[in-house]
Amino acid sequence: MKGMALMSEETNRQKPGDPMEVWEQWYEAASKGWSNSTNGNAGKTSSPNPFSLYRTWLQGVTRAMEQSQQGTGNPLELWKRWFEATADSWRKAVEISNMGGDSLGLMKQWLDMMDAARAGLLAGMTLPIAPFTFFKQWYDATNETLSAAIGDVIGSDKFMEVSSEFLNDYANLYALIRRTNEDYLHNLQLPTRTDIARVAELLINLEDKVDRIENQLEDVADDAGHGLSQLDDVQQRLAAVESLEQRVGQLEQRLNGIESKLDTLLAAIATLPTRTTEPVKVPSSSRRANRTADAQRQKSQKSQEAEAQAAS
Amino acid sequence: MNTHEGIDASISFEEALKKYKTGIEIIVEGARVNTGQTPKEVIWTKNKAKLYHYIPVVEKVAPVPILLIYALINRPYVLDLMPGNSLVEFLVSKGFDVYMLDWGTPGDEDKNLSFEHYVLDYIPQAAKKVLKCAHAQEFTLLGYCMGGTMSAMYAALFPGKPLKNLILLTAPIDFTPENMGLFGVWTSEKYLNPDLLAEAYGNVPGELIDVGNRMLKPVTNYIGTYVTMWDRILQDKPMDTWLAMSKWVNDGVPFPGAAFRQWIREFYQQNKLVKGEIKLRGRTVNLANITCPVLSIAGTKDHICTVPQAEALMQLISSQDKEFYVINAGHVGLLTGSDAKKTLWPKILNWLQPRSQIAQS
Repeated sequence: MKGMALMSEETNRQKPGDPMEVWEQWYEAASKGWSNSTNGNAGKTSSPNPFSLYRTWLQGVTRAMEQSQQGTGNPLELWKRWFEATADSWRKAVEISNMGGDSLGLMKQWLDMMDAARAGLLAGMTLPIAPFTFFKQWYDATNETLSAAIGDVIGSDKFMEVSSEFLNDYANLYALIRRTNEDYLHNLQLPTRTDIARVAELLINLEDKVDRIENQLEDVADDAGHGLSQLDDVQQRLAAVESLEQRVGQLEQRLNGIESKLDTLLAAIATLPTRTTEPVKVPSSSRRANRTADAQRQKSQKSQEAEAQAAS
Repeated sequence: MNTHEGIDASISFEEALKKYKTGIEIIVEGARVNTGQTPKEVIWTKNKAKLYHYIPVVEKVAPVPILLIYALINRPYVLDLMPGNSLVEFLVSKGFDVYMLDWGTPGDEDKNLSFEHYVLDYIPQAAKKVLKCAHAQEFTLLGYCMGGTMSAMYAALFPGKPLKNLILLTAPIDFTPENMGLFGVWTSEKYLNPDLLAEAYGNVPGELIDVGNRMLKPVTNYIGTYVTMWDRILQDKPMDTWLAMSKWVNDGVPFPGAAFRQWIREFYQQNKLVKGEIKLRGRTVNLANITCPVLSIAGTKDHICTVPQAEALMQLISSQDKEFYVINAGHVGLLTGSDAKKTLWPKILNWLQPRSQIAQS
């Protein structure tokens, strides 16, 4: 507060002028005020002064601006000086943090990244002409180093302990708020999410039952369909057997007809006078008929012989 | 004309403003693009889950249909991202009969859904519907990420017919901490208590899961993504694929509490699957029961399912016909994009064709 008062007093005494000068004066006053308030009567600085980082950066920027106004710096030189100024300030920050302990190693890794970016950008010797292009070049130059640095951090036990604690605390807080809201709405006789979820569960259970019934009906239909298809098979086979039987019957009739014709032929052949002594070859059916005729002739001959013997 | 430095000096102020406006709109309003455009019909529903049948566009050449199973986090339309960049569209165009089981968005009433429900109820019933719709006796099961893990468990519990083939894309099987990278640290019993999260949230918010996935590569996921976006806008490159991927990445769904508990406790922390100690409704999941042809694919740049995590399956199954295939890609890059069209898609096609009774012309 003293520092702020000092600052306002000093600026009020100043006439309006160069904004950088005003800013630098405000900064000096605030820095003094910080030192006084933290050190008190001890005399020695025991805690890092956050303004020292900014002081170094501001000095670098001031130098760069003076040079550009004098026309002595080309744009590339300006970039180099900007990097130097910024890198110097970060290097000092690393030294300061080493005193206090950079537990995650972030400051050092940030410095490595800055050095890598400076080397990459300046080696390219091109100046971006659009804000995004500059950002993309910066990203391409720093991406890998930054990813590696963050990867080391998020995989460390220290980070995990902090994250785990945060996650658990947040979950507990969320659960507490949820329970409180549920109780509040319950007291107001208003439905809560739990009530709606309970009704939805009942609907889901009902749907499950309908599903089970549907599955069983489908199984029955499948079985019935399977049975029907088997019945169809049987009926088809029966029909096939019947038609076979009919065809066999027709074949038998035809065969009987052929046999009778053959018998007629044989009988006709048998009554014809024979001109050769060779026996006439007749088919088996006719042979059967001839055998029958022969048997009858033999019978009649025997009966005639018997009658003749009896007469004599 | 655009130069490699981003914006040419000759571009007008209005055009530059327009480009920046486009980028700001995407950041503020999110990616607005149509995804999952391959024509499909719903043939079955159960609770929030829907079973889709993709309408055939050519004559069916394979009598064995394919059932796609995705994870319980994020949405399955990554398998059908956009026309020209869709595994589903590709398979349909090659004459396969394709089905997908979309788990839907769990509500508070679904916080008790566990792997017992998904593996023993949802997948078998979906398979039955697929066979009925396709008039088939057998089917191919294709699982991606956690869906692959669930598919492997289903194959172990229901070996033989009607399961004909099993394809697993970046499916984690072995959860040995040394093989898991950062996930091995974050999910250890020392730091992550899944019971506490499941009790507090009911269903674990998709945003929490998303942060976990993004934190594997925070610079790339939180900054690099938008650097790419701006680069493409300012150089007038096509934005469709970027928009579709951005929409999918930001489209997480809640993870049912009971399943979350199981996933972290029994898989990540106790690694029970490879030990044969996972039990679903008293039935032990023994991966050695898998005897069907298996194709398992992993990506060398995959930080969510590393190669050793997926490869472990090959030592555990009893299949004679099995293949482990590694692609130089990440978890999602393996599935979509120009490289996927040259590597993953033809690989799946060439592996499936002789195993799906392709009709001889």
